[in-house]
Amino acid sequence: MGSLFSSSISLRKSVKITDDEFILLRDFIYEKSGIFVDIKRKYLFESRFSKRLAELNLPSFADYIKFLKYDSMKAAELSTLFELVTTNETSFCRDMRQLDAFQANVLKEKIDEQRKAGKLELNIWSAGCSSGEEPYTLSILLHESLKMELARWKINITAVDLSPAMIDRAKKGVYGDYAFKTTPDDIKKRYFSKDAGGWKIKPTVAKLVNFKQMNLNDSMSLKRLARSHIVFCRNVIIYFDEEMKRKVVGSFYDNLMPGGYLMLGHSETLHKISSTFKPIYHPGTIAYQKEG
Amino acid sequence: MKHLDELTAGMTLASDLIASDGRLLFKSGTELEDRHLTLLKRVGVTEVDVEAGTGDLSDDQIREIEEYVRDFFLYVDPDFAPAIQLFHLALNLTANSVAEGWELPDLNQRRATNVEHMEDLFLIGMGSPDTIVKHESELTSFPDIYFRIKEVLEDESASADKIAKIVSTDMSLAAKLIKLVNSPLYGFPQTIDSVSRAVALVGAKELSTLALGISAINYFHDIPAELVDMKTFWRHSITCGIFAKLLAGTQTGLAPERFFIAGLLHDVGRLIMFKKLPYASTEAMLFARENSIPLVEAERSIMEFCHTDISEPLLASWKFPEGLSNMINFHHNPMEFPNPLEPAIIHIADNMANAVEIAQGGMYVLPGIDEEAWEISGVKPEMLEGIVEQYKEQIDIILSAFT
Ligand SMILES: C[S@@+](CC[C@H](N)C(=O)[O-])C[C@H]1O[C@@H](n2cnc3c(N)ncnc32)[C@H](O)[C@@H]1O
Repeated sequence: MGSLFSSSISLRKSVKITDDEFILLRDFIYEKSGIFVDIKRKYLFESRFSKRLAELNLPSFADYIKFLKYDSMKAAELSTLFELVTTNETSFCRDMRQLDAFQANVLKEKIDEQRKAGKLELNIWSAGCSSGEEPYTLSILLHESLKMELARWKINITAVDLSPAMIDRAKKGVYGDYAFKTTPDDIKKRYFSKDAGGWKIKPTVAKLVNFKQMNLNDSMSLKRLARSHIVFCRNVIIYFDEEMKRKVVGSFYDNLMPGGYLMLGHSETLHKISSTFKPIYHPGTIAYQKEG
Repeated sequence: MKHLDELTAGMTLASDLIASDGRLLFKSGTELEDRHLTLLKRVGVTEVDVEAGTGDLSDDQIREIEEYVRDFFLYVDPDFAPAIQLFHLALNLTANSVAEGWELPDLNQRRATNVEHMEDLFLIGMGSPDTIVKHESELTSFPDIYFRIKEVLEDESASADKIAKIVSTDMSLAAKLIKLVNSPLYGFPQTIDSVSRAVALVGAKELSTLALGISAINYFHDIPAELVDMKTFWRHSITCGIFAKLLAGTQTGLAPERFFIAGLLHDVGRLIMFKKLPYASTEAMLFARENSIPLVEAERSIMEFCHTDISEPLLASWKFPEGLSNMINFHHNPMEFPNPLEPAIIHIADNMANAVEIAQGGMYVLPGIDEEAWEISGVKPEMLEGIVEQYKEQIDIILSAFT
C-alpha cells in the first residue's frame, strides 16, 4: 500500500534536550514550584517546550534555561513556564461522594460549632483551585447548607493557584460543557446563567470567593493568608515529591485553626507524609483534622 | 461515485459494477487494476462506486491526522528507529480509518469519563498488592476446570486423551478452543471439528496452555461494563497476544503459542484493579490522559503500584506456569528479569498494540520500547510492517472466537 505520508516525515519535531539540560530545567521547575518531573518524562518535556523555544528564537534548552534564570523578562517567563508544567484538569462537583460526605459531616460540624459560639463566620482555603470550579463548588455547598441563613454569615473562600491564566479564567467565571461533566443538572440550572461564552456563575455564588495567584512553594506568602477552618487541596500534591508534600502540608497545618480540617483528593493521602493530622474516616472520604 | 477519470489502480469497488445492458462486470470488493480500467473505458462505463480511500483525504485532514497520531508518541524517544516505524504505521492506519469515515476524537472526548459513583474497597496507601490479591482470592474461587487442566499440564505422563476429555467437559471452553485452532492463529489448512483432533494437531502441552489461559480469563466475566469498556480491554489483550506470537515467530527457538497466552493475559493485574479499586483505576486512566503519560505511570502516581505489581501475587496464587507469569509480570521492565528475551517480546507487542489502537480510538500514549530489550529481541524495524499486515488479517477472526 502506498502511503500519504512521506517516509521522511520525522517523529522528532523539537530541539533535543540533553540529560544535563533536562536535570537543570527539572531542578529549576522544582525549586520554583515544587513540581517534580521524573526523567521518564524527558521527551514529553522536549515537545512541550519546543514551541516556546521557537517563539523565543532560542536554539537550545541550555539557552532557554539561561533565559529563565538571567533574562530581564524572566519573571514573565516564569508564568509561561508554570502554564507549561501544570495540569489544570478540574470540574464542578468533582468527586461527589467526597463532597456529600464533607457537607454532611465536616461542614455541618463546623457550621454547628460556629453557631454555638455565636460567630457566624467561616474561612475556607482552596489551594490549587485551577480555573475556579472547586471554590465555586464550595460556595454552592454553603448556599445549599445555609440557605436563607447565609445572609447573616461572613464567609470567605480564598482560592489560589500557581497559574495566572487559571486565576484570570476563574475570575471571569464562564464555563463550557466540560466543566459540568460531574455536575447534577439542577445545580447547574440554579447557580449559573446562560452566557454568550457558556454558563456564567451567579454573582451570589461568586461573591464568597476571592482569587489570588499564589505559589504553594512560597511559605512566606502563605503565612499571610487568613487562618482557615477548612483547607481544600485536591489533586495538587500528587505532582509534588515527598519533601514538597511535607512542606505544603505543614503550611496547611499552620494555617488551620485548631479543630480545622484538611481535605485531599481521592487518590491522595497523608500516609507517609504527616502524622500531625488525625484522619477521620467517612464513607467516601478521609477528613484530616488538626486537633486542639 | 467516482468518474472514470478519477479512478486509479488499487481502488476497490464498493458495489457490484453493472454494465448498461445489465451484465455484471465486476463484483463488489474487486480491486481495480489497469486492465480493468481499460475495459471500463471500452465498454463506456462513466461512473463507478469505489470504497473511500486515503486518496480522498484533504491536506487539512492529513495534517490533523499527523498531529493526532503524534500526540500518542510524546512519551517515547523520537529518534529511536522502531518508534519511528510504529509512528508511520499508525499514521497510515489512522488515515485509513478516517477515510472510512471515522472521526478523530476531540480533546474533550479524549479526556472525559465520569467516575463519580464508584467505591474502592481499599484506601490508597492501605492496601498493598498482596492484601488486595488475598482479598480477591478469599472471596471468589477460581474455576475448577483451571486446576484440572493445570494438573495434566504438569503431569508429563498425562495422555493426549486425558486433556481432551477434561477440556470437553466445559462446553464453552471447548468451543472457544476449537474456534481458535481453526483461526489464522494456527493456520491449519483443514477444518478441525473436535477437541481430540485439536490436541493431536496442536500438541497436548500447547493446547493445555491455551486452555489454561482461556479458563483464567473466564474468571473475569463479571466486570461491570460502566466501569471500563471491556470490549476495548479484551481487544487490546488479544491484539497484544497476536503481536507477541507473530514477533516470537520471527525468532528461532521460541514457542509462539505461549506468547499468545502471555500477551492475552499481560494486563490481567488491571482486572483485579477494576474489581477492587474501581475509582482509583478510573482516576489513573484520567490522570494518564490529562498528563499524556502511559497508563502504567499513572497507576504508579495514583495508587503507588502498577498492574504488574498486582499480577505477580495474583498469578502466584493461581500457581500459573512460571515462565508465562514472568513474561506477564515483566512486560514493562523486561531488562529487570534475568532472562529478558521472553518478557521483551511481550513488551514490544504491547507497544505495537498501543500503536495500532490509535486508529481505533485508543486513548493512551505508547509506554515506549526499552532500547536494550529491543536489541536482545532480535526484531528489526523493517519487520514491523509485515507483522502489522498479518495482524490485520487475523484480528477479527480471533476476536470472534472469544465472543
Ligand atoms: C489538577 S488541578 C486540581 C484542581 C482542583 N483542585 C480539583 O481538584 O479539581 C492542579 C492545580 O494545582 C496547581 N498547582 C500546581 N502546583 C502549584 C503550586 N506550587 N502552587 C499553587 N498551585 C499549584 C496547578 O496550577 C493546577 O491548576
